[in-house]
Amino acid sequence: MIAHSFKYTLKTLFKNRMLIFWIFAFPIILGTLFNMAFSNIENNEKMDIIDIAIIETEENENNKIIKNAFEELSDENNEQRLFNTKYVTQEEAKTLLENNQIIGYLQFDTTPKLVINTNGIDQTILKQVVERISQSEKTIQKAAEKRIENTLKEIDFREVNNIEALYSQIYEDVAKILEQEPNIQNISSSNLSYTMIEFYTLIAMTCLYGGVIATIAINQNLPNMSANGKRVAVSPTSKGRLIIGSTLASYVIQLIGLLLLFLYTIIVLKIDYGNNLSLIVLLALCGSLAGLSLGVIIGVIIKTNETTKTGIIISVTMLGCFLSGMMGMTMKYTIDKSMPIINKLNPAAMITDGFYSLYYYETLDRYYFNIVSLLVFAFIILGISIFSLRRQKYDNI
Amino acid sequence: MTIFKTFLKIANKYKLTIIIYTVILLAFSVANMKSSDNSMSFIATKPDILIINNDQKEGITKSLIEYIQKNSNIANIKEEEDAINDALFYRDINYVIYIPNNYRQDFLDNKNPEIKIKSTGDYAASLSEMMLKKYIQTANTYKKAGYTEEEIINNIEDILLQQTEVEVTSKLDIDKLENATFYYNFQNYALLAGCVFIICIILSSFKQEAIRKRTIVSSMKYRKYNRKMLLSSALFAIILWSFYIIISFILLGNIMFTKHGLVYIINSFIFTICALTIGLLIGNIVKTKEAVNGIVNVVALGSSFLCGVFVPIKWLPDSVLKVAHILPSYWYVKTNEALKTMEQFNTETLKPIIINMGVVVIFTVIFIIINNIISRKQRKIN
Repeated sequence: MIAHSFKYTLKTLFKNRMLIFWIFAFPIILGTLFNMAFSNIENNEKMDIIDIAIIETEENENNKIIKNAFEELSDENNEQRLFNTKYVTQEEAKTLLENNQIIGYLQFDTTPKLVINTNGIDQTILKQVVERISQSEKTIQKAAEKRIENTLKEIDFREVNNIEALYSQIYEDVAKILEQEPNIQNISSSNLSYTMIEFYTLIAMTCLYGGVIATIAINQNLPNMSANGKRVAVSPTSKGRLIIGSTLASYVIQLIGLLLLFLYTIIVLKIDYGNNLSLIVLLALCGSLAGLSLGVIIGVIIKTNETTKTGIIISVTMLGCFLSGMMGMTMKYTIDKSMPIINKLNPAAMITDGFYSLYYYETLDRYYFNIVSLLVFAFIILGISIFSLRRQKYDNI
Repeated sequence: MTIFKTFLKIANKYKLTIIIYTVILLAFSVANMKSSDNSMSFIATKPDILIINNDQKEGITKSLIEYIQKNSNIANIKEEEDAINDALFYRDINYVIYIPNNYRQDFLDNKNPEIKIKSTGDYAASLSEMMLKKYIQTANTYKKAGYTEEEIINNIEDILLQQTEVEVTSKLDIDKLENATFYYNFQNYALLAGCVFIICIILSSFKQEAIRKRTIVSSMKYRKYNRKMLLSSALFAIILWSFYIIISFILLGNIMFTKHGLVYIINSFIFTICALTIGLLIGNIVKTKEAVNGIVNVVALGSSFLCGVFVPIKWLPDSVLKVAHILPSYWYVKTNEALKTMEQFNTETLKPIIINMGVVVIFTVIFIIINNIISRKQRKIN
């Protein structure tokens, strides 16, 4: 009987075109849009070349050093290139700034002065660089003085033939020391791409949308919901088996939808779910089970028409996805930080967090915690549904 | 009147959907609001840095920590590795500096101790790295020149205190204009979704076969019927538009009473008319009510994602922007973006804006023409 119910539920569900759109096509469309919109965000966060201008003035010692430094930082062959510098007159610089073609310009009165349009990070970097150049100059000066002082103590300077050469040697040495790369070791994980969260919430959404299929499948077996249900109810077969058959069928459809989405995101969109395939599959299975249980309980407990039931599942799913960061990636973090209990109960967040820990973390503790949470969530909810489904009787319908 | 009344009745039935779109619009606009401290002086952008100090906070270590703290926002994160990693991933902090045990002594012994860092690799992280490197390099130079620890610290403080003079020229209230642009950009989603959804639902209600037959046998002329449908839809769209404009006055305040505000309003009106024609066109093509929801989501979400509503235009890849040119939303958003940085209003600066608006009008005309062709073909009932 289970097989019979399974087969026919599968057939009816596949004929429901709206269902197919929301479960199969919508996540793929949304994924494509995410990919198109977000693919460039992280590249833009990296340091870009900043457009600036320097006002042409007569050369003097003071601005020569700064100009030389900027020339080097604007050199196209320099790997650490920071700026694209134009050398213009005051008037031209003003126009460039007004048209937003440069973020600011540098002029020399007695000291260098920056003129910018608005406050911002590019402007802060420009200011840092200018300051750094003049500060370096003074640092070298001061350090060299000390060195010369010490050197002169040690040697008898009457023996030195060329004092000028000694001085400039010391200056050079100090400048070299200042240029030395400090001993800094970067130990951050290379998997820092936070737009991945969007795709993880998309998987979570598809898992939970699966609840809609379960609700529709359950409705087929409920006498107060459909004519089909009435027919089934008067038949002398075990209701438990019928429902198991239907639920299995809806679970299968859910998994097919999910499989399509996975294939699409992995092959076409190149989403990184981490390297452990079996763990990804396990998480997807558990996530779908949570979605299924959500659909079953809403199908069983809430007594209303099918449209409202689906409406409830979709709203719950969207709320869950919102809290796990679909409409703004920092949402999940904010919730995790300030009210962690909410996302500990939210199946969408459990699924998202599971993928996140696979992608970003090296240990699996957090991943397994999410798997166990999903299973506990699913079994508690399924338990309640079975309990309230048993021995339902209708005096009239 | 019959048509108009029916129109309003159906629209009223679906008001919840409109309310949802409005709530989304409001929620996102408020969440993205920047508080405006419109200062004319320079304010440095401060990266969010976390310092994990395993050394005694004394001498050079203390000086380094104080220097970084002065130039950054110190993040409020639990000093646990998991919390730090999460904060980095979600860009709550840009940079973490781990000062090793015995750093001060190793530095004074010229051992060049290693500092571990974690970085998000973005602008703010690069800025943080610049500061850290500058400090260490300067300290090293003084150390190797033979200064004592105390002298090193004093020298560094002397030198790093020197600031460059900065002049800020813009007279625009950038934050307020950014808020306005965000709100008006987001209207693209709310207006499109609202217009297309309601108009499609209503057209498909009128298209049910029994109702269509009843309309056709009535004495009302086909043209008059069409005109009334068009007028009622237009009225609905304009009501929706005025509603959003009123909200914008409440939300954005005095910026709406400037020239900028006026252009925002005109621009969104032109777009509303375009959205109306899109709604009519789709309403004529779609056969069933069930399909409306799917199509609305694809059209509204699609054009919002591709045209720089949800993700700012400057962050979209060029290939996407090229595709976006064939959508009216792109030209609408482009005008809003241009307004954000417009200092003066004259023929030269207004020209690109007028071109954008013209393109939206052309789209509107194209949609009307296609719509006419399609509805002419659909007149017959087999």
